[in-house]
Amino acid sequence: MATSCTQKHLIRWIQLLLKCTIFLSLTAAAISSRLFSVIRFESIIHEFDPWFNFRATKYLVNNGFYKFLNWFDDRTWYPLGRVTGGTLYPGLMATSAAVWHGLRKIGLPIDIRNVCVLFAPAFSGVTAWATYHLTREIKDSGAGLLAAAFIAIAPGYISRSVAGSYDNEAIAITLLMVTFMFWIKAMKTGSIMHSTFAALFYFYMVSAWGGYVFITNLIPLHVFILILMGRYSTRLYSAYSTWYAIGTLASMQIPFVGFLPIRSNDHMAALGVFGLMQVVALGSYVKSQVSWQKFQTVMIVSLVSLLALGISGLFALTYFGFIAPWTGRFYSLWDTNYAKLHIPIIASVSEHQPTAWPAFFFDTQFLIWLFPAGVFLLFLDLKDEHVFVIAYSVLCSYFAGVMVRLMLTLTPIICVCAAVAISKVFDVYADFSIFIRSSSTEKPALSKKDRIMTFITKLTVCGSFLAYLVLFVHHCTWVTSNAYSSPSVVLPSRNSDGSPALIDDFREAYYWLRMNTAEDAKVAAWWDYGYQIGGMADRTTLVDNNTWNNTHIAIVGKAMSSPQDKAYDILKAHDVDYVLVIFGGLIGFSGDDINKFLWMVRISEGIWPDEIKEREYFTPSGEYRMDAQASQTMKDSLLYKLSYHRFPTLFNGVEGVDRLRGQNIRQVDIGNLDYFEEVFTSENWIVRLYKLKELDAVGRDLHAVGDFERGTSRGIKKRVAKKPLLDVRV
Amino acid sequence: MNSRVLKRLEFIQRLVRQVCSMRVASVFRNVVYTLTMAIFLMPISTLVEAKPAFGTRTLVIYDQKLTELDNYSTFLNNLKQRSHELSYRAIGNDSTPISLFRGEDKLYDNLIVYPIRSRHFNKQLSVENLLSFFSKGGQVLTITSPEGLSDNVRLFLNQLGMFPSPRNYYLNDYYHGDENNTLHLTKGESLNEHVVPLGEYDLVYKGAAALLDNRQLIIPVLQAPKTSFSVDSKQSDEIWTAGSEGYLAAAFQSLRNTRLAWVGSEVFFSNEFSANNGRFVEQLTKWAFAEKAVIKSVGSSHQHIGGAGYLESPYKVKDSVVYDIGLSEWDGSSWSPFTADDIQFELKMIDPYYRITLLPSETSNEAQYYTTGNFSLPDHHGIFTFLVDYKRAGLSFITEKDVRAIRHLANDEYLRSWDITNSWVYLTSIYSVITVWVLFVGLYLSLRKPKTVETEKKNN
Repeated sequence: MATSCTQKHLIRWIQLLLKCTIFLSLTAAAISSRLFSVIRFESIIHEFDPWFNFRATKYLVNNGFYKFLNWFDDRTWYPLGRVTGGTLYPGLMATSAAVWHGLRKIGLPIDIRNVCVLFAPAFSGVTAWATYHLTREIKDSGAGLLAAAFIAIAPGYISRSVAGSYDNEAIAITLLMVTFMFWIKAMKTGSIMHSTFAALFYFYMVSAWGGYVFITNLIPLHVFILILMGRYSTRLYSAYSTWYAIGTLASMQIPFVGFLPIRSNDHMAALGVFGLMQVVALGSYVKSQVSWQKFQTVMIVSLVSLLALGISGLFALTYFGFIAPWTGRFYSLWDTNYAKLHIPIIASVSEHQPTAWPAFFFDTQFLIWLFPAGVFLLFLDLKDEHVFVIAYSVLCSYFAGVMVRLMLTLTPIICVCAAVAISKVFDVYADFSIFIRSSSTEKPALSKKDRIMTFITKLTVCGSFLAYLVLFVHHCTWVTSNAYSSPSVVLPSRNSDGSPALIDDFREAYYWLRMNTAEDAKVAAWWDYGYQIGGMADRTTLVDNNTWNNTHIAIVGKAMSSPQDKAYDILKAHDVDYVLVIFGGLIGFSGDDINKFLWMVRISEGIWPDEIKEREYFTPSGEYRMDAQASQTMKDSLLYKLSYHRFPTLFNGVEGVDRLRGQNIRQVDIGNLDYFEEVFTSENWIVRLYKLKELDAVGRDLHAVGDFERGTSRGIKKRVAKKPLLDVRV
Repeated sequence: MNSRVLKRLEFIQRLVRQVCSMRVASVFRNVVYTLTMAIFLMPISTLVEAKPAFGTRTLVIYDQKLTELDNYSTFLNNLKQRSHELSYRAIGNDSTPISLFRGEDKLYDNLIVYPIRSRHFNKQLSVENLLSFFSKGGQVLTITSPEGLSDNVRLFLNQLGMFPSPRNYYLNDYYHGDENNTLHLTKGESLNEHVVPLGEYDLVYKGAAALLDNRQLIIPVLQAPKTSFSVDSKQSDEIWTAGSEGYLAAAFQSLRNTRLAWVGSEVFFSNEFSANNGRFVEQLTKWAFAEKAVIKSVGSSHQHIGGAGYLESPYKVKDSVVYDIGLSEWDGSSWSPFTADDIQFELKMIDPYYRITLLPSETSNEAQYYTTGNFSLPDHHGIFTFLVDYKRAGLSFITEKDVRAIRHLANDEYLRSWDITNSWVYLTSIYSVITVWVLFVGLYLSLRKPKTVETEKKNN
C-alpha cells in the first residue's frame, strides 16, 4: 500500500509539473503570437478606440484618479465638451495605471505606452487560465487544458487582443471568463465566497466594458432555466442572491452606469429573476410545510397573479418613463434592419454589421464544427453547469450572427465546447490501456483481430484529430500574422518591385498637425478619426468615436455634404480652423471618406430631411458615382471638392483616375475651392488637410474673392462700366 | 514743418537720456529733463491739432493734367497741420509703377488718390495692389470726378461695393444746381455721427454720385438730394442714379479696421469752396485717416468673484464670475477713455447664453473700464466663449474673445444626502430597516434554541 501511495504522490507531482509546463508554454504561445504587430511594425497603439484609451490612461497617470474621475475634456466635442470621467469605463485605464505604478514601485519604470501596448497579450494568459478552470468545472482538467490552449490562440479572440490593440475588450474577455468561472463554482457549491468573487469580478467587468450586460442577462437566464427545469436548490438561491445583491450594488458605483441597473430594461431580467428567486424560495418553504394539494392551488393562483402583476408593472413603468426603454443597440440585435432605418449612426459602424459566414471559419477554424458536437455532448448528461454553457452557446451564436464584433464573446464558449468534444473523443479513443493491461494474467476481452482493428481505429481517430490540431495551430498563426496584426494606423503595402513598404500617411499628417497648427486649433473630420486626432495630433475635435451626440455628428455630416459656402458657414459657426479628409483614390485605400460619405448624408438627413436628401447624391439611374455622371449635388458637396481638389493635376490636369473606384474625375466637375485652402496633403494623398480661409476684409463673399483673383471678373474691366444690379440700399 | 519739430524733439530727448545716463545727480537730471521738455513741448502742443493713430506717412497721387495742387492748398495744409507727412506723386506720361510696399512693409500709411485720367495709371497701380494696401492697414481717400475716374480705382471701389458713376456722368439737379451742374446743398446732412458730426452743412458739390450695395461695412455719409439724378453728358438718356439712391460721399471700414472715404467731386476739396465745405472735409478726412473715432480695447479679463483667475481654479457650472474690459479712444493726440452705454458682453456656446450690457466701472487716464458685475455661469457645462463684439458703423470694430471650458460638478461637489431635507424620509427608512434587521437577527438567534427542540420532537 505504501508504495502505491508514494506512486500516487509521484504521479500527482508529475501531473502538477506537466500542468505548470503546459500553462507556461500556453501563456508563452498566447503572448508571442500576439506580438507579430510589434515585430512587424513597432510598439504602437492600433486603430481608433485604443487611441482614446491610451490618451485617457496618460491623463490618469499624469493627474491621478480623482481628476480622472471628474475629467471634463474640453478637447473633444467642441464646443460641448465631454464629461469623459463620467462617460467611460475606467477599468482598463485603472488597471494599466496600476500596473504602471506597480512596476515603478519595484524599480521598473516603463513607458506607459509600452504598458498599454502589451496589456492585451499579458491578459490573454489570464484568460487561458480562467478558461481552464471554467472547463474543468464543466468536464475535467483534460478538457480544461484543451480549452485553455484553444482560447490562447483562437483568432476570434486574438483579433481584439494583439499587442497595441488597447481596447476595453482586451481585459473584458478575461473578466468575462473569470466571472463565469466563479459563477459556475458558486452555483455548484452554493458557496457565498465564490459568488461574492463572481460579483466582484462582475463589478470589475462593469467597470471595464459595456458588454457586461451580457453577464447581467446570461446568469439570470441560466438561473431561470434551472428553475423552470425544477432544479431549484438552496445552493442556487444563495449563489444567485449573493451575486445579484453585491454585483448590482457594486456596479452602480461606476459613474457611467449609475442607476441603470434599476432603471434600464436591459437590466430588468436580473431583477425579475431575483424576485422570482425569492418567490420560489418561499414556495418551496410553503411546499415543505403544507400538503401537496393545497400547495398546488396556492402555487397556481400566486404564479398567475405574480406574472400578471410583473408584466403590467414593467409596461407601466416603461410607459411612464421610470424604466428606460430598450436602447437602439439592443433593438438592432433582434432586427438587423432596425439600425439601418432608424439609427444610421449605429449601422455606420462596420463592426455592427451582420457577420459573413466565412468569418466563423476564419476566426475559429475546426472549432466551429466541433462546437455543436460539444453542445450535444453536454446535452447528454445535462448537469446544472451544462445548462449554463448551452444557454451561453445558443444566445451568443445568435448575437455573433447579427453583429461582427460579438464574434468575440462567442469565441470563448466555442473553445470550451470544442474542448469538451475533443477531450470526449480522446477519452474514448486515446485510451490504449486495454492493450497494455491485457498482456498480463487477465483474460483478453477481445479477440486478437478485434484488438488490432480497435487499435487501428483508435490510432486513426487520434491521428486525424492530432492532425486537425496541428492544422489549427498553423491556421491561427497564419490568420494572426496576416489579418489581425496590422495597426491600421500604418498600412503595409508593397513597392513596385515587390519589396515590403509601409504607408505611413496618417502619422505623417497627424504629426504635421501637431507641429504646425495653433495648440487650440479646432479640426473638423468625420468621427472615425476623432480619437486619432486627439491622441496623435493633440488637437481639438468636433466629433469622435464616442458617438454620444448624434446631432453634433450630423452637423459635421451636413457640412461635408453641403456646398462649400454653406459648409463654410456651418464650420465657421463652430470655430473650426481645419478640415481633415481621408482620400484613398490615389493609392486605392478603401476606407476613405467618399466610401463613408453616404453615412454622412444619411445621418445628417436624419436631422435635416429638408436640406439633405440621400437621393440627390446618386446619379439619375441610382448609381453612386464620382465621374462625369455624378449628380450636381454630389459635385457641389464639400467632401467631393476637398477629396479631389488638385487631383487631376497629378495626371494631365484635365482628368484624373480614381484608382479606388476606377472612375475618371474631371477638373471641370471639381471646380474651384474658394472657401478653403489646402495646407497639407500626405505622401500618398490619404490625408488631406484644409484650412478655412479668413473672412474677406472688405466684406465680399469668398466666392467673389476667388472670382476676382482668378480674373474672371475681367469682364468688368472693359472700358464701359455697366450699371450694377443691386438691391436697394435700405 | 511739424515733422521737423518732432525730429528735433526726438533728438533733444535722446540727448537728455544720454546726459542722464552719465549718472549725474538725479536732481540735476530731473531739472534738465523737465526744463528741456517744457521748452520744446510748449510750441509743439499748440501746433499739433490732431494726428493719425496709426501713421502719418501720406502719399498724394494726382494727375498733372487734371489737378493743380495749388487749388487745394487749404486742404493739404490742413493735413500738414494734422501731422501728415505728405509725399506727392504726379501721374503724367511716364509709366513707372507706384510701389506702396517694400517687401512686406508698407511705405505709406495713408493714400490720397485724386481723380486721374491718365491711362498709364492703370498699369502703375493695379487693383490688387490697392486692395492689398487697403486690407493690410493702409487708409485711403479716393476722390473721383466725372473727368477723372481711372479703371483701377473704379474696380477697386466696385470690390468694396461702391459704384461711382462712370466718366462723363454728372450729377444734375434742377432745384439745387446751376447750369454748370454745381449743386448747392444748403441743408446737407451727415448720415453718420462718428464720421462727420451730425448737423446741417452748407455744401457745394460738383461731380458724380455713386450707387452703394448693401454690405454693412459701407457707411453712407452724404446722400444725393431727392431731386437729383446722374446722367451721361454725352448720351443724355442713360441714367446712373436717380434721386436719393445716389450717394455723394461714403465711408468704408474693413474688418481689419482700415478705412476708406470716397467723394465723387474734386472741387469739393478746393480752396474755392473751402469756406463751405472745409469743416465737412476736415471731419471726413480725419475719420478716414484714423484721427478720430478710433477705439481699441486695452484688455479684457474675467475671474471668480473672489479674484481667483481661471488658471488658478477653472470655472465650473454656476460659479459667480465677473468680466471686465477697458476701452480707449484716440482723441487725435493721445488715448483717452471711451464712453458708451451700448457695449455688450456675450457668453456663448454657438448661441449666446448671456448677453449683458456692460456698465462703466473705473476710469484711468487712458481707458474707461467696463464690467458685467457679478453673474453666475449657466448650469450647463461646455466650452464657452467670453466675447465682446462691439461693431458700430463709424467706430473701429472691437472683438475680444476668450474661449474657456466650464466643467461639470465633480463627484464630491454635490450636496451630501443629509443636506437635502427631502432625503430625510428615505434616510430614515433605510436606517430603520437596518436597525430592525439587526434587532431581528439578534432576537432570532437568541430565541432560536427552544424552538429547534420542539420541532425535533415533532419530527420524531
